[in-house]
Amino acid sequence: MAKLTIDGKEIEVPDGTSLFDACRDARGEDLPHFCYHPDLSVAGVCRLCQVEVEGMPKLTIACNTGVRDGMVVHTRNERVTRASKQILEMHLINHPVDCPICDQAGECGLQNQYMAHGLYDTKVEKVDKVHKSKAQVIGPHVILDQERCVLCSRCVRFCAEVTGTGEMGIFNRGDRARIGTAPGVELDNDYSLNTVDICPVGALTSRDFRFQKRVWMLKAADSVCPGCATGCNVRIDHEAGRIYRLKPRYNPEVNGRWMCDKGRMTYKAVHDENRLGDPLVGGKVETWDGVAGTLAKLVGEGGFGLVVGSPYQSLEEIHLLKSLGKDAPLSGGLADSGQGTGDDLLQDADQTPNRKGLELLGVAQHDGPALADLIRNAAGSVLILGGDPAADPTVAAALTEKDSVIYVGTHGDKTAGLAKVVLPGCMWAEKAGIFVNRNGRLQEFKQAVARHGNAREDWRILSELMTVRNNPDVPGSLKGVRDELAGSVAADVDLNKLPARGFLPGGEAR
Amino acid sequence: MSFEGLPKGSGDKKRSFLESIYLWEVLRGLGVTAGHLVRNILHTDDMPTMQYPEEKRVYGGRFRGRHRLMKREDGSPKCVACQMCSTYCPADCITIVGGEHPDPKIEKYPVSFEIDLLRCVYCGLCEEACPCDAIRLDTGIYEIAADSREKFVVDKDFLLTNDTDGTF
Repeated sequence: MAKLTIDGKEIEVPDGTSLFDACRDARGEDLPHFCYHPDLSVAGVCRLCQVEVEGMPKLTIACNTGVRDGMVVHTRNERVTRASKQILEMHLINHPVDCPICDQAGECGLQNQYMAHGLYDTKVEKVDKVHKSKAQVIGPHVILDQERCVLCSRCVRFCAEVTGTGEMGIFNRGDRARIGTAPGVELDNDYSLNTVDICPVGALTSRDFRFQKRVWMLKAADSVCPGCATGCNVRIDHEAGRIYRLKPRYNPEVNGRWMCDKGRMTYKAVHDENRLGDPLVGGKVETWDGVAGTLAKLVGEGGFGLVVGSPYQSLEEIHLLKSLGKDAPLSGGLADSGQGTGDDLLQDADQTPNRKGLELLGVAQHDGPALADLIRNAAGSVLILGGDPAADPTVAAALTEKDSVIYVGTHGDKTAGLAKVVLPGCMWAEKAGIFVNRNGRLQEFKQAVARHGNAREDWRILSELMTVRNNPDVPGSLKGVRDELAGSVAADVDLNKLPARGFLPGGEAR
Repeated sequence: MSFEGLPKGSGDKKRSFLESIYLWEVLRGLGVTAGHLVRNILHTDDMPTMQYPEEKRVYGGRFRGRHRLMKREDGSPKCVACQMCSTYCPADCITIVGGEHPDPKIEKYPVSFEIDLLRCVYCGLCEEACPCDAIRLDTGIYEIAADSREKFVVDKDFLLTNDTDGTF
């Protein structure tokens, strides 16, 4: 441990800590910075985090200085504030200050630093600034504005160190230095949008989000990416019932500060034109009241002959499905649904968010022919919850033979076309729930936007079906489902108050 | 509730004979009316009534009337769809959709720019917020009328040619 004094405050940090982190602990806020990023190597190029260390003749950058026992550091005295102000002014010499059309405005490092440490009058006329390339498409997801760049090299380091693809680089020297990709190279890796997140200014912006919304109008909801079994923690940025983007949410146990580009696009399915907004009976639009009679006939008399879940549903819904189908055979849906390619960074080959949840509750999955047999042998109506099992041709053939299939789905997919009754459920962003990721971590996602059309939350649909079946354990709320569920998954956690980093039954594996 | 301190009602006053027969009071009232009539006929210039719409009140140069969008030299809107005005607007009456401009120097332009004139409170905060001097309330137009609510939501083309007269 090293004991040092920062701004007159004594602090003890482990040896090897960088002075930057020690200063943050002591001050309660970051030093001004652009290039420092906790998950990347130290570059020391922005020179903004300069501090005064007693005994050293010149100011030194905190990010590239290790702590030493007995160090006396000043971060707020006049010499330091003047230095950071001047450095900031230097960064802004050639900055176009086109904040009105810049998507980063509102969450921009340059704006924040200027308001916190700058506040000087510019000495450079706009006409004298060095102009560089604007609105340059450098990849399928990213657009580059070289003028706005402050050459912090975070994107260069990200591509070199995290993805290992090395597309970005700094070319030329002096005020002609510019960030870019080498000729003929595109910024086309699966994690390219992370460079947009870490860019402290508006040099790299997302093509998908470009000009869609000003960031200060967005509201945020904590969620979990449904794109694969990794379950990256995300923040859903939405406004007026529309989702505009997904951003990674820091969770050192799961995804750190990153997420993949494919995951960021998962929100598009929520606003798909093919969404189901009303119940369908035999392909005709019905009201919820109108569909009740058909359900009573299908379910109330014969009961369920088979109940099929899917790894796309939340843990609570699978639990309800289990209690709904107590007396009927139960399947977790297609075992080979949602298979893709994974990598060793974040993406998992299993592109379903909750297959571990099915395993946790002991619901077995079946392959196509086995599920088709189950459907054919079902004595009574068949309830399918999500997952579009009819994507498998053998299952589709079996479903065609049945005329008592109830499908709770979100999109007008193949299964919806074959089912007798289709009930519109909610996408993950429209409801709350728990997904279990590939490591068995229970992670809660919260509702961000309003339900589409007349869709209802799946747990509510299932509890209504339970009422039709005269099942005595009908839950009144999602909280009720979770309380009931808690005993069967993890006795030592309240599922209504899961920690922000999720909960791993059996303790954190460290 | 206490009625103490309130003025006594007129019913308590003792009426004189002339007042109690009413006719005299009616004639006296007609006399006042006729007096005003004669005075107004003789001195029409002193009448406070304005002959609107033939005659219109002149407002100061800072009067905030209906909005207009300013143009560049080529006639396209100056607006860059930064949405400062709609952010600042206390009545939430401005709706802007931004889009990619073919000229990378302009970069962003308003695909649609709508103002709901019924919601607008004419406070002028939008023109204060605008970094490009793209919106102004200096048309001096205060006659805003239409026969349906939808027509009060005016679009970009209307606002760009909104510097003529008050007709919708």
